[in-house]
Amino acid sequence: MTKPIGLATLCLSSLLALGGAAQAQTVLNVATAGDQNMVDYIKDFLGPMFEKANPGVKVVAVGTGPGDSGSQKIYEKLAAQKAANAASWDFDVIVAHQKMSGQMASEGLLAKYRDNIATGKMVSSQTAANALGSNVEGYVMPMFQSQTALAYNADMVKNPPASYAELLDWAKKNPKQFGYNGIKGGMSGVAFATGWIYAFGGDADKLIKGPYDAATKAGWDSALLQLKDFNKNAVITPGNAGTLDMLNRGEIAMGPVWVDMFYTWMKDGKLPPNMKLKLIAPGMPGQPMYYAVPAKAAQPKLAEAFIALATSPEVQADGIVKRFNWYPGIDAKHLQGKLDEATWKKLFADVTPDELSSKGKPFPIAPYFNDILESYEKKVAN
Amino acid sequence: MRRVSLTGLALVAPALAVVAALFLYPLSYSLVAAFTRDGAFSLAHFDKAFELYSTDIAFTLMIVLVSTAVIAALSTAIAGTLTLSETPWLIAALKALYRWPLFIPFIVAAQCMRTFLAKNGLMNNTFVSLGLIEPLQATSFLDWRGIVVTFAWKQTPFVALLLAGAMASLDRATIEAARNLGAGRLRILIEIVLPQVGRTLMVALVLSFVTMLSVLSVPMMVAGSQPTMVTVDMAFRINAYGDYATANALGVISYAMTAIAAWIYLRHNLEEKRG
Repeated sequence: MTKPIGLATLCLSSLLALGGAAQAQTVLNVATAGDQNMVDYIKDFLGPMFEKANPGVKVVAVGTGPGDSGSQKIYEKLAAQKAANAASWDFDVIVAHQKMSGQMASEGLLAKYRDNIATGKMVSSQTAANALGSNVEGYVMPMFQSQTALAYNADMVKNPPASYAELLDWAKKNPKQFGYNGIKGGMSGVAFATGWIYAFGGDADKLIKGPYDAATKAGWDSALLQLKDFNKNAVITPGNAGTLDMLNRGEIAMGPVWVDMFYTWMKDGKLPPNMKLKLIAPGMPGQPMYYAVPAKAAQPKLAEAFIALATSPEVQADGIVKRFNWYPGIDAKHLQGKLDEATWKKLFADVTPDELSSKGKPFPIAPYFNDILESYEKKVAN
Repeated sequence: MRRVSLTGLALVAPALAVVAALFLYPLSYSLVAAFTRDGAFSLAHFDKAFELYSTDIAFTLMIVLVSTAVIAALSTAIAGTLTLSETPWLIAALKALYRWPLFIPFIVAAQCMRTFLAKNGLMNNTFVSLGLIEPLQATSFLDWRGIVVTFAWKQTPFVALLLAGAMASLDRATIEAARNLGAGRLRILIEIVLPQVGRTLMVALVLSFVTMLSVLSVPMMVAGSQPTMVTVDMAFRINAYGDYATANALGVISYAMTAIAAWIYLRHNLEEKRG
């Protein structure tokens, strides 16, 4: 008698398995801009966690490339599907930079979802409402805050410069020991050049808060000439990773890096242990990445659930801060008690929370941002 | 007869449609986009391209010309050795080795060169450990030289392959005659062999020239961005600003460079036919 029952159980379980397979057809498409670590974060950490909590859902992560260009590709895809009047769009959740998120929100490509999820109230950052001058209130949740700073080899540099002005002198005394990637190889170089304009180009507050005045860029000429001169003593590296590579091989002693990449490379042993960070005055830019839901996502409810999970204090503590070394996207006070003391201290070892709030600047509003890039191309690179 | 030609037309139609849709349409679209602004004819995009990227345009032309010259010299040496050498093991070894880079994609080659040519990279470290140079003398080759080295490494086998084939099919009597009269091998290569395969060399070099102009990965990965090649600028224009117009203008400037190469080639071809 046992045999038929065993057979029946087998049939039943295979039926269940089939049902499970049919359910697994629900796919949540997550498109993310940024370096490979962003894709890894979705694919290896967040995706499996969400799939476990929601049986039958498969999370597919697609990377669209580093820097604003990655976000540009997401925008082009959504804009094209909107123009083609597609019934539902290919991405359910997008992770994008500030510049394009602002544009997507103003062009009606995004859904207003933040009030629908519980973690929406835990956000305190200004950047959740204002993305480089565009109103994004309700459309985005910051995934994390990232910050640029100067990384330096403490064995080679005993007294690191504390400001852009001191860096200028330092580079003169130590030619070809400072490296950054220009503005085409990645955002750490863009951030350095932007910080340069904040330091030497006049009113930084106006660039960050607006309003836009097309005549402002004429006042940057001397700052840009100085930068061109500075570049003669600097090494132009091939990309964010290129700067870290050269720091690792000891070919340069100092260069601007993303804090999260820096800590991740340190953890992996890809940088010498004596590397340190310095956030120089008057400040260097940082930026959040946003979670957003396209206006015609195929799975809007699932997308919201995904983002709610991703911005929950537990995931922000364990994933964003501990594993990937970013600063949290929701207010840090919600993370208290979720993180061990050592992790918290490590993140703020070289750059204190005070320094972060006083010298961690946003990028300028979009039109000024474009002006800075183009003026750099015109006056510095050419 | 009419039916036959209709059948023929039907047979080529799919191919023609693919060429029209995937090549002619985008080409004319980009030409139109480069020369118009708000629907009217304008050279504004070219003004902008030159204002921002004149150095890069000159840099690109310089890189590609130098690379072409290096490739011509190296591939002639390889093909000449294969044809004229009398050392069997040398020929066998060269034959086995020289084609390898053909199978390596540009991006992989660039990645290898990035660690090989760096200041403290494999090449300099080897020189240092051999005692050839002092560590302080080591310099990074990750600038225009790195791009030229990568291009030469990648494209030489292609040119050498075509050239060696052409040399192998030469009438060996001319070579033997020259040798009987006492000519050295270098002289035979330059005065007897090369003139007979000049056309093949020219075609192969023009093809390499055009290929190198279109490579994005190598300048992006090997060298920093100032100055850089126009492909990187085109990508940046599109990626950072969504500015297709200036990118198209840069594209037209690239067409112009390839057009010069094609013109030289055609002129040479015609002269040969007349002569």
